[in-house]
Amino acid sequence: MAATTDTDHEEQTGTPGPAPAAVRRRPGRIALAVSVFGELLITAGLVLGLFVVYSLWWTNVIADREADKQGDKVRDNWAQDGSASGGPGALNTKDGIGFLHVPAMGNGEVLVEKGTSSKILNDGVAGYYTDPVKATLPTSGKNGNFSLAAHRDGHGAKFHNIDKVEKGDPIVFETKDRWYVYKVYAVLPETSKFDVDVLDAVPKASGRKKAGKYITLTTCTPVFTSRYRYVVWGELERVEKVDGDRTPPKELR
Amino acid sequence: MYGWIWRHLPGNTWVRALISLVLVLAVVYVLFQYVFPWAEPLLPFNDVTVDNQ
Repeated sequence: MAATTDTDHEEQTGTPGPAPAAVRRRPGRIALAVSVFGELLITAGLVLGLFVVYSLWWTNVIADREADKQGDKVRDNWAQDGSASGGPGALNTKDGIGFLHVPAMGNGEVLVEKGTSSKILNDGVAGYYTDPVKATLPTSGKNGNFSLAAHRDGHGAKFHNIDKVEKGDPIVFETKDRWYVYKVYAVLPETSKFDVDVLDAVPKASGRKKAGKYITLTTCTPVFTSRYRYVVWGELERVEKVDGDRTPPKELR
Repeated sequence: MYGWIWRHLPGNTWVRALISLVLVLAVVYVLFQYVFPWAEPLLPFNDVTVDNQ
C-alpha cells in the first residue's frame, strides 16, 4: 500500500467536503499504519464470525443435503433388491449399511456408513469404527460391540442431542431386513479422547463383564468443542424382521 | 486499506458500491468453499472419535 499513490490519487479525485478538511486529510505514516492495522483487526473479526457461521450453519446445510441423497440411494437399493430377488443380498458397505434411530435425540434417522474419518462423517452420517477397534456389525450375528461416531455440531450434527439419551432409552438400528432394538444401559458423560477401551467388544467401563451384543455411540463434548468424548452404551434387546410395509418396531411409533 | 480500495474502484458511487458487493461476495465464497474447509480439520472443534493419536 504505497502512501504516495494514495495521497496523489486523493488529490486528483478530491473527496467532496470542505476545503480545510482536505488539507488535514494527509495522514502521517504512523496514522496510516494504525488505520491499516485497525482495519486488519476488523477484517479478522469478521472472518472469525464467518467461520462460526460456516461451522454451525453452512456445514449442516451441506451435510444434510449429502446425507439425504445417500440415504435415498440406500433406500432405493433396498427397494430394488427386494423386488428383484428377495434373497439376502450382499451387504453393500460403500453406500451405507443402514439407519440409526434414536428417538431420544429427536432427529429422525441417521445413515450409518463404514469408517469414522472426517471425510465420511462430514457427509452428515454416523460412521462405525474400523480403527482403533473394529466394530462388530449387528448383521454378523456375532457377539461384539457396534461402535459408532457422529458429529456433535456442524456437518449435520447427528449426535447433537446425545445428552438427552438416558438409561432405558431405545436405540434402533434398521437394515434392509432387520430391526435391531438396543436399550441404553450406561452413559459416560465425559472421558478422554484416548479412552479407546470404550469401544472394546466387552466395554468394561460400562459395567458389563460378559460377552454380548453391544452398541456404543461416541461424539465430542462439551458442545462446540472437542475437549472430551461422550459415550452411550446399549445392549441388544431383540431383533425384528422387517415386514412388507417396513412397519417400525413399537419403540419408534 | 478499504478506503484505498474504494478510491481505486472505477465509476460513480453506485457502480463502486456494486463492485464492492461483488468483491465481498467473492471473498465470502472463497472463504466458505476453500479456506474454511481447509482450516477446519486443523482446529480442535470437531473431533468426535476416540483414538490413539
